[in-house]
Amino acid sequence: MLLDPAIRDWVLIPIMIVMVLVGVVRHQVTVLLNGTPKKADLKSARETKALQRCGLLRAHGVHIPEHAFHGRKAFLSEAFEKGTYLKETNTGNKPRGNVMQDPAYVETMMDGMKKNMMNIVPQTVIMGWINFFFSGFVLVKLPFPLTVRFKGMLQRGVETHDMDVSWVSSLSWYFLNLFGLQSVFTLILGSGHAADAMRDMQAMSTMGMGAAAGPNLSPTGQPQDMHKIFLAEKENLDLTEHEWGLENVETRLLVKYGKKPASVLLDQKKAKIAKLAGRQATKEFAAVAAPSAAAANASRKKGRRQV
Amino acid sequence: MSAQINPDDALYVDMFIAKNAQTMNFIRSSYSAVLGLAAGTLGLTNLSGFIFYLLGSTFLSVLIFVLKTKGQSGLYFRKSLDVFTEGVTGGLFSYILFWTLLYGIIHVYD
Repeated sequence: MLLDPAIRDWVLIPIMIVMVLVGVVRHQVTVLLNGTPKKADLKSARETKALQRCGLLRAHGVHIPEHAFHGRKAFLSEAFEKGTYLKETNTGNKPRGNVMQDPAYVETMMDGMKKNMMNIVPQTVIMGWINFFFSGFVLVKLPFPLTVRFKGMLQRGVETHDMDVSWVSSLSWYFLNLFGLQSVFTLILGSGHAADAMRDMQAMSTMGMGAAAGPNLSPTGQPQDMHKIFLAEKENLDLTEHEWGLENVETRLLVKYGKKPASVLLDQKKAKIAKLAGRQATKEFAAVAAPSAAAANASRKKGRRQV
Repeated sequence: MSAQINPDDALYVDMFIAKNAQTMNFIRSSYSAVLGLAAGTLGLTNLSGFIFYLLGSTFLSVLIFVLKTKGQSGLYFRKSLDVFTEGVTGGLFSYILFWTLLYGIIHVYD
């Protein structure tokens, strides 16, 4: 089967060029609309950073000496309890106002809507354009076979029963471009560009996970009670036990370079667990905290051995 | 809020991991576009085209693995096999696009 070269010159290549150009325009318009990113004010930044600091302490607490760890732990616990870092210091149950009147929330909503519009409008326009002008004839042959199921979708408007499915109409060329040009946009616009239709969809589904949705908005977009989060974080911190990362480091070093058998480490660990158990029995622990702390300890030891 | 913090995560800097993934995507995008152009020009069809892509991208992965990460891809990615998988599916689409384009221009139209 032979196709008219005019179709190539006036349909195949123009569609591709138009789609690339529209992608570039979309990127630029999105950049324009978004403007400069808004700076978080001091209080809300402090709120987030306090949480981050607590997370860091829990993750990396093993690298600082025990007294330093306990000092930080006590300080952060107290601060969380009292709500020192809260944006609004009155921690009482204030009545929550209408969400729609909160300017920050409305702004987030508007941003999402703008992005959606930027996504939907160009795609609809191009699809309409292609459907209006270029439907009803075969545009190109795919170099790979497809099953008959695709015939209705890829050859819409071409009423032939016996033609192979790999001959497709202009709309399929459009879809091929839609998916295939993503990487071209990455090349010409740099990564993180706004011409990426697929990433918009992903962003929609995972909105609120990243920093884009703002620190004190839950995934649903509702503002959260930061004091509750702080209290939960404090509880997590309370359960964190300190185990110094440099403990019997000299033995570990010798074992690592094969100067001592690995069983030495195991023996030391067993001895330490026995000692800890004895100390915990004498010490007065809160009934809830003790078992979970011991469990946390045990699991951490397991992790250490794997490393 | 991250309730559980895995101590092993501390071994990797998120920023660098993201940057590496970005670089991989960049390389793969350009490479698979060029690969698609080559396949279209050669007139590959059906399975041979996909095998061409698989071979080509495996070749690229091996190059990166040997030359760039010096065989220690675990230093640059969370999983050392990520060198072979990162961005392969994304590249496949642009490969198909350029493959179809060149195949159409050269072998379908006169």
